[in-house]
Amino acid sequence: MKTTSRQLPSFKPSRRWLTPGAIAVLLAFAVVFPQQVAKDNVWNLFFLMCLGIAMGQSWNMLGGFAGQTSLGHAAFFGIGAIITRVLWFHGTPFFLALIVGGVAAATFAMIIGAPTFRLRGAYFAIGTLAVAEVLRITIAQNQPYISTMPGSMIAEYNLPSRYWLALGLAIATTGAAYMLLRSRWSLGILGVREDEEAAQATGVHVLRHKLLALGLSAVFMGLAGGVFAFKQISYYPEAPFFPTFTFEALMIAYIGGLGTVSGPVIGGIFFVVVRERLAANLTDVHQVIFGALFVVIVLLLPGGLLEIWDRSKRLALRVIRR
Amino acid sequence: MLLNLEGVSKAFKGLKAVNSVSTRLEEGKILGLIGPNGAGKTTLFNLITGVYPPTEGKIFFDGKDITSVAPHARCWMGIARTFQLVRPLPELSVLDNAAIGRVYGRDPIRNRSKAEKASYETLEMVGLAARASEKAKSLTLVDRKRLELARALAAKPKLLLLDELLAGLNPSEVLTSMALIQSIRDMGITIIMVEHLVKAVFGIADQIVVLSAGELIAEGTPAEIACNESVIDAYLGRSLHA
Repeated sequence: MKTTSRQLPSFKPSRRWLTPGAIAVLLAFAVVFPQQVAKDNVWNLFFLMCLGIAMGQSWNMLGGFAGQTSLGHAAFFGIGAIITRVLWFHGTPFFLALIVGGVAAATFAMIIGAPTFRLRGAYFAIGTLAVAEVLRITIAQNQPYISTMPGSMIAEYNLPSRYWLALGLAIATTGAAYMLLRSRWSLGILGVREDEEAAQATGVHVLRHKLLALGLSAVFMGLAGGVFAFKQISYYPEAPFFPTFTFEALMIAYIGGLGTVSGPVIGGIFFVVVRERLAANLTDVHQVIFGALFVVIVLLLPGGLLEIWDRSKRLALRVIRR
Repeated sequence: MLLNLEGVSKAFKGLKAVNSVSTRLEEGKILGLIGPNGAGKTTLFNLITGVYPPTEGKIFFDGKDITSVAPHARCWMGIARTFQLVRPLPELSVLDNAAIGRVYGRDPIRNRSKAEKASYETLEMVGLAARASEKAKSLTLVDRKRLELARALAAKPKLLLLDELLAGLNPSEVLTSMALIQSIRDMGITIIMVEHLVKAVFGIADQIVVLSAGELIAEGTPAEIACNESVIDAYLGRSLHA
């Protein structure tokens, strides 16, 4: 075999400066803007965007990176919410409760992962949906009463603290997705997505990599659930188990750009802004519009909104170089 | 003996695709596996790489019984393969495709950038270094075949199984690929190749195994096989004026 001491050529195109710049601008905006406006509806909107980003990133780790379409992510969200809330209400420091909620979601994921990963493709999707629905109905039967924050917590409640937590989670989840994609583990995880049998023949332990992606995905979905439980004053314990949360996470990943790190960020912002607009103006039909939008994106723009961005960036760079 | 098959059979719903095949392969040799379509060549490959377990018989690799070892674990032990219908990982870069082998194969490099550097050398060997950053799906068929080979080689195999690597190549590509296969053997890697290009196999193989209807009908050096009556009847055919 030829050996070379030559340096590896740079494999990435020369647009690296764009990314740190975009991150800095986005972060500055996320920190400064809500404080300047300081209105409840803005804190709310920004909270929802951050929660959406975290959920989209979480779903993308399993659905985008490992290629396993889960329709059961609401289960992880719900477990995170219920565990965090119960522990917190019973005097556990909030951050500890939040982490236990995330770990509980991941533990549940590991338990259901081994059997559901025996299913492939659409059967895996149906299996995860069934597991999540069974859990939701069980919770609804056993916890039929509204869960409301104790008066002492309501007294010291403020929206900005909820937003900062959600922002922190969005950043942490995005950072985790980025690091996962750069790690050696991503080779196996993406390999499983591309071709299970070929990856296995190349030494990739398929189940182990699927479980790794699932576990990480579930931790962050559980943390998102915990943040939801921290924000909502009162709700039915069943609510965070609704399939809506699964489909929001899925749509954010698809709309932004499946299998990428920046996709869920773009998707989360876009999805929440559009949804809030539509929900305010067209309450009855906004779900239908989203369904249609989703179908259009999947069919016409499989790379999501990021694809538009990438295409125009390439075009712009070509014009600049001339 | 690097590989030892003892009475290996595989039946699919009663149909015996491979029927009681026994053979041995020494280290550092090239074994050519030939036979008509449906003879069970690819099934035998799948049995050696562990895609499914045999219905009967045992498989020994490097002195160990691997009959019930999973495919990824066989790769860790040093068995790597290419697929008849090439299966590179399309959305990954050419370099990442090879790096998978280096990160997960035998004697793996767990550090990703070091593994990438090592895989880059493997890409140079098969002539794909210039395309390292491209997505695998953008490659031509020949280059995809090279990439499959690079991915398998990056896993540092002791035994390399090539499933019709030469099929679909033009004559000059066949020649360069044959030279490449020989240089891989010279690195000390044992090779089993399934091939329909009998001339090519006879040119580089040390040992030939002929399968027909799932059974091993002949085994020997290329010269012995070329004049074996049953092989001529089953596969090679008689020249008209013989």
